Amino acid sequence: MSVANNKDVIICEGVKKWFGDFQALKGVNATVKEQEVVVVIGPSGSGKSTFIRCINRLEAHQEGTIIVDGIELTNDVRNIDKIRSEVGMVFQQFNLFPHLTILDNIALAPLWVRKQPRGEVEEEAMALLERVGIPEQADKFPGQLSGGQQQRVAIARALAMKPKIMLFDEPTSALDPEMIKEVLDVMKELARSGMTMIVVTHEMGFAREVADRVLFFDYGLVVEEGTPDHFFENPQHDRTKLFLSQIL
Amino acid sequence: MVLLFFKILGGEASKNFARSDISFGFGWLGDPPGFSIREGIDLQPNSGIRALAVGGLNTLRVAFSGIVAATLLGTVIGVARLSKNFIVSKLASFYIETIRNVPLLLQMFFWQVLLQSRSSLTEESVGTKLFDVSNKGIASTWVFPSTGFWPWLLIMIGGYYLARKVARTRRKYQEDTGEDGHPGLFGFLTILGVAIVGWFVHPLLSFLSILWDGIGNLIGAVPAASVSLLIAGLAVAVAAIWIKRFLDTKRTPAGLGKLTDDDIFRMIFAGVSALVIVWIAFKVGGAIINKPDGTDASVAAVLRDGLANIFYWFGDKFTGEAGSPLAISRPVVEVRGTGGFIQYGTTGILATVAFASVWIAVTLYTAAFIAEIIRGGILAVAKGQTEASQALGLRRSQYLRLIVLPQAFRIILPPLGNQYLNLAKNTSLGTALAFGEIVAVGSTLMNQTGQSLPIVLVWMAFYLTLSLSLSGVVNYYNRRMALVER
Amino acid sequence: MTDHLAPLDLAELAPEKPPSGPVLWIKENLASTWISAVLSVLAIGFAAWGFRGAVLWLFAPDRRWDAVIANMKLLSVHSYPEAQLARVWLSVGIVFVLIAALLAWNRVGGKVAPRQLSKVLLTVGIALLAVGILMPPGAEKWETLGNRMLWLVGGVVLAGIGAVLTRLPDSRRKAETVPIMGVVGVALLGIITFLQTATMAFPIPGSPAPENAADRIFEATPIAKSTANPWTAIIVFAVLTFVVMSWFRSRTEGEGAGVRRLLVSLIVASFPIIVLAILRDPAINPETLQKFVVTGIIFAVAGAAAMYWFGAQEAGESRRAVASIVTLVAFIVLVFPGILPLPSSITPFTEPFLFRLLLLAFALFALAAPTFGGAGAALHRYVAGWVGTAVIITYAIILITTESTVDVPGNFFLGGLGLTFVLSITAITLSFPLGVLLALGRTSSMPLFRMMSTAYIELVRGVPLITWLIVAFVMLPVTLPEGIELSGVMRALIFMTLFSAAYLAENVRGGLQSIGKGQAEAAQALGLSTLQMTVFITLPQALRAVIPALVGQVIAIFKDTSLVTIVGLFDFLHIARSAINQQSQPYNFVGVFLEPLLFAAAVYWIFTFTVSRMSLRLEKKLGVGER
Ligand SMILES: Nc1ncnc2c1ncn2[C@@H]1O[C@H](COP(=O)(O)OP(=O)(O)OP(=O)(O)O)[C@@H](O)[C@H]1O
Ligand SMILES: [Mg+2]
Repeated sequence: MSVANNKDVIICEGVKKWFGDFQALKGVNATVKEQEVVVVIGPSGSGKSTFIRCINRLEAHQEGTIIVDGIELTNDVRNIDKIRSEVGMVFQQFNLFPHLTILDNIALAPLWVRKQPRGEVEEEAMALLERVGIPEQADKFPGQLSGGQQQRVAIARALAMKPKIMLFDEPTSALDPEMIKEVLDVMKELARSGMTMIVVTHEMGFAREVADRVLFFDYGLVVEEGTPDHFFENPQHDRTKLFLSQIL
Repeated sequence: MVLLFFKILGGEASKNFARSDISFGFGWLGDPPGFSIREGIDLQPNSGIRALAVGGLNTLRVAFSGIVAATLLGTVIGVARLSKNFIVSKLASFYIETIRNVPLLLQMFFWQVLLQSRSSLTEESVGTKLFDVSNKGIASTWVFPSTGFWPWLLIMIGGYYLARKVARTRRKYQEDTGEDGHPGLFGFLTILGVAIVGWFVHPLLSFLSILWDGIGNLIGAVPAASVSLLIAGLAVAVAAIWIKRFLDTKRTPAGLGKLTDDDIFRMIFAGVSALVIVWIAFKVGGAIINKPDGTDASVAAVLRDGLANIFYWFGDKFTGEAGSPLAISRPVVEVRGTGGFIQYGTTGILATVAFASVWIAVTLYTAAFIAEIIRGGILAVAKGQTEASQALGLRRSQYLRLIVLPQAFRIILPPLGNQYLNLAKNTSLGTALAFGEIVAVGSTLMNQTGQSLPIVLVWMAFYLTLSLSLSGVVNYYNRRMALVER
Repeated sequence: MTDHLAPLDLAELAPEKPPSGPVLWIKENLASTWISAVLSVLAIGFAAWGFRGAVLWLFAPDRRWDAVIANMKLLSVHSYPEAQLARVWLSVGIVFVLIAALLAWNRVGGKVAPRQLSKVLLTVGIALLAVGILMPPGAEKWETLGNRMLWLVGGVVLAGIGAVLTRLPDSRRKAETVPIMGVVGVALLGIITFLQTATMAFPIPGSPAPENAADRIFEATPIAKSTANPWTAIIVFAVLTFVVMSWFRSRTEGEGAGVRRLLVSLIVASFPIIVLAILRDPAINPETLQKFVVTGIIFAVAGAAAMYWFGAQEAGESRRAVASIVTLVAFIVLVFPGILPLPSSITPFTEPFLFRLLLLAFALFALAAPTFGGAGAALHRYVAGWVGTAVIITYAIILITTESTVDVPGNFFLGGLGLTFVLSITAITLSFPLGVLLALGRTSSMPLFRMMSTAYIELVRGVPLITWLIVAFVMLPVTLPEGIELSGVMRALIFMTLFSAAYLAENVRGGLQSIGKGQAEAAQALGLSTLQMTVFITLPQALRAVIPALVGQVIAIFKDTSLVTIVGLFDFLHIARSAINQQSQPYNFVGVFLEPLLFAAAVYWIFTFTVSRMSLRLEKKLGVGER
């Protein structure tokens, strides 16, 4: 399946971002096509999280442009609302709402943001829980679930808004090895179903198997990008070679 | 230390009491106190107990209105302090740092001085007002219950439950169909409708007056001793139920779990407390005091008659007379008496300088502490929760209501209850401004009767009841909130 | 898909400067949304209106600040005799010098970047300018403080320096180069200059007060030398001490923990010495002195010998039992002196109260001896500790029980701010050990202790402080054993202590409960006894964990001392509220309420705010809450 001819859904040009005096992004250029799976890797502190958080404006970039699905990200609240309901996000620390049941966690946004009827929402939520493999946990609270289960709930919660694009920020980093697989399986299934995905991860196996393209971040910049084969077998840049030699 | 206190209570003390001609008793409760109180429901109380009741009510009045105002103000300031807006958050910090670092008593004096330096009432100011501040206090327009208020209130209580039901039905409709059901609007319209209809039909409830009088007669017919018996029985029952429940929590499928020292101690404590209440009920209940009309009666009988009187009083309100249940009353400045004193009349509501100073001071002071608690509670909700809600596209108001509030509430509630209690206790500084609250009245009584120990006991009982009721409410909500998270 | 990126030269990727500037700052901090913008406008308007009102009010010519200025002495020490005021100055001086020494030894200060300094200078400078501009006509009546030019010039100079600092090149602006203590030194120099050169406005004494306060005739008076010179001397001495100690510190290696401990104990000890010996100035009578000294010596010597017996390593449970019995007896005898009168054979050369007190102290020491004593040198040190304690107690009792040469009407030699400090510092220090004991009692595994502590804590916290003070002033006199009389200050002191102990106990209990079981288990595994575990392991951690709450409590006690106003003691608030406005001679301050009250508020505020800020720094340094 080639995505090369699909249209661009995310276009970033010269994106710059500062935290106080510290510059985290130094002019990032990147595009993502429809149904493409892009994996972002790079050393710690290189700006990977900052980059994908700019895409749904959890962080506001200061210079450059980001266009998501034809809408430019500005301070305009309406644009932000529109984009946030089309872009789902999964966090490293799950960030489930501890005071709500699993079902309510998933149902919350469709109910209040999309204003769908509850019966419909709950049906869909159950279907999503089936999809991520834990329908029996619907009435429990997040604190009663294992990390892997929580992360799968978080994925279901994001999917409940029927997003066009999914962002994953190191979804497996807080998990024990045996739980990583169950989460990655869900993500692979999602990728095969044609979801557009940006995934920050250190799981190189996942990158090789699923990614259409790999972006390598360092010093707040995309230092190198390419297909997984190209990237892992034949890296161009010294930094990339060094990084790969350390983790492989 | 404990010893010192026990010593005061113990033998040494009674010896000294005897030496200094101080008797320990409750007879003074019925004696005319021989002083007047500047404000409250009764300015010339005819018995010690009534004077204390007036003081207690004054405390409650300033405490509850203060709690409501301080909560509102504190919430606004706490949220303002978290605002991204530089100047708003700086102003909020300035308020907090100024207010909470200056002694409360000084602040009360400050407001007192400020109010007293207002111009006095003169010939020119005579007339009807909406709102007026002078060195006599703050007078304001107010809404008072009027003819048929109580029957109307009864109808309104029914209306409230009806409105809740309507709102629920509408919410269910919304959830089932996805269309906006406007539950809040429908509920409001229901209660509005009930209020309007009730406004005119309340005379129809006049038949209930027979019921209230009947209850009053019933209570009045009960022998006095049974009041003590009832209180004692209640105490024992509560203790017994508590112990049983406590044991139930310790019960495991395998039988009763092992009890620690602590558990046994708690149960003994509950039992002993009940016995102490039983003792007090009979001891104090049996004490004879002379009523203002000259006859003697036991405290228990006085209590019983008081309860019966409440129902008689209630019965009197159900006259069936038509009229509006609420009346708006505006303050007037008038020339009173032969001396030509210019004064506020009896209409409207008047906060004396003392009341207003105490109220303003405790409200502003407590609001500063509440603001810090609110801020801490909101900050304690993990940052990830914000991000997750944003990523899902929740609006800020939804995020606050659905995510932050339920989580922050649990953190905020216990210290908030503490602040409420502090506020209630702090109103006692009103003594220094001659505000007639319970400590001021009590200490005047002390000087008049020399009965210091009984009055200290009354204080303790008063504040203890207050703090127990407050912590009861806090615990109730805490348990409800805690259940949600499990 | 191809690689379209040529390899980058990463070395060239130096970070750029972020977009900045006042417009952006305003956009982000004042107008991020339009609601925020509206709020900003309202808030700025409100703040400006308040500031303007405050300046107009404070500097109005009909203010009665002279009521505060003329009554400084009354506000600080009430009726302390004029002739003996040197004692007060000496006391203040000792405190300042000791604190300066400790600060120097702890290397307090450090350096800040010019950027931070410029922010402060700009803010202060602009505020001074604003005051100068808004000052109402007629303010020049207040002489130096009402001198518009002075405010304007000061504002321009400070803001100017601040502005110049912002122009420094980036690297120098952010490097931490400016010593804080240098800035403080400049400020102190400013204060000395002010003290020595400023003039104050005084109504001409005896001149009849015109109806309109603004029309009063003022006289420019330099700040009295009797005020300016002592302060100058104190500041100079403190600065000198700081410099000398810093020099010594820079030459000592390592932690310097010994000196630090010495300084801290000097500061702690200075308080009772200042109050009891310097300010109170006991007139010691040689005849009665003899009894005290004999009692003290007997206890120090005989007690030391006995302590070897109690603390010996082979001491078994039997000796501990003996110590317990002695403790019990000593306690009862102290509290109920009537029960066991001293034998008449020893009364001629002993002082009964001191005897009983020392007996209790001795018993407690003996009780703890097996735990803290040990063998050889440790035991010697412990016994030395006992001798020191005995001497200190004897000395303190001598000081307390002898007549004071400071002859003032009323029942205490100090009033005003001095009394406020004595009350709060004593209540804080005394309630601390008591609170810790109560907290330990409430968390102890022994039901009796737990019940008593719980009952005490709940009872005391159940009703407001003012009711306890009323009890102290109405009930206490009739319940005390015959023959013992307590002055008002003593009564207030005792009840404030008892009251705050209950609150402190709850804070400490919070700390005790926050410590994991692991600590206790580890300590037990090491073979520590329960007492040792508590003193060496649990308590220090618990106290550290609740430092913020404890500081809050300290501040609360300080503010709460103002309640003694209600029972008639002449503390700071009492004088500010009702002493000054009764003076008709020579200046006629009758009816002047607000100015002294606001002055008092400012003084209270300065102390509480400083303490809370210091505790914030301490918390950061200790990393409280981070582990
Ligand atoms: N809120 C913030 N405030 C200040 N600095 C920040 C903030 N968030 C990130 N940074 C800084 O920005 C840089 C990039 O952070 P980012 O989280 O994007 O790195 P990352 O590539 O995701 O690293 P990791 O693999 O460790 O998650 C880091 O140096 C970090 O310290
Ligand atoms: Mg990251």
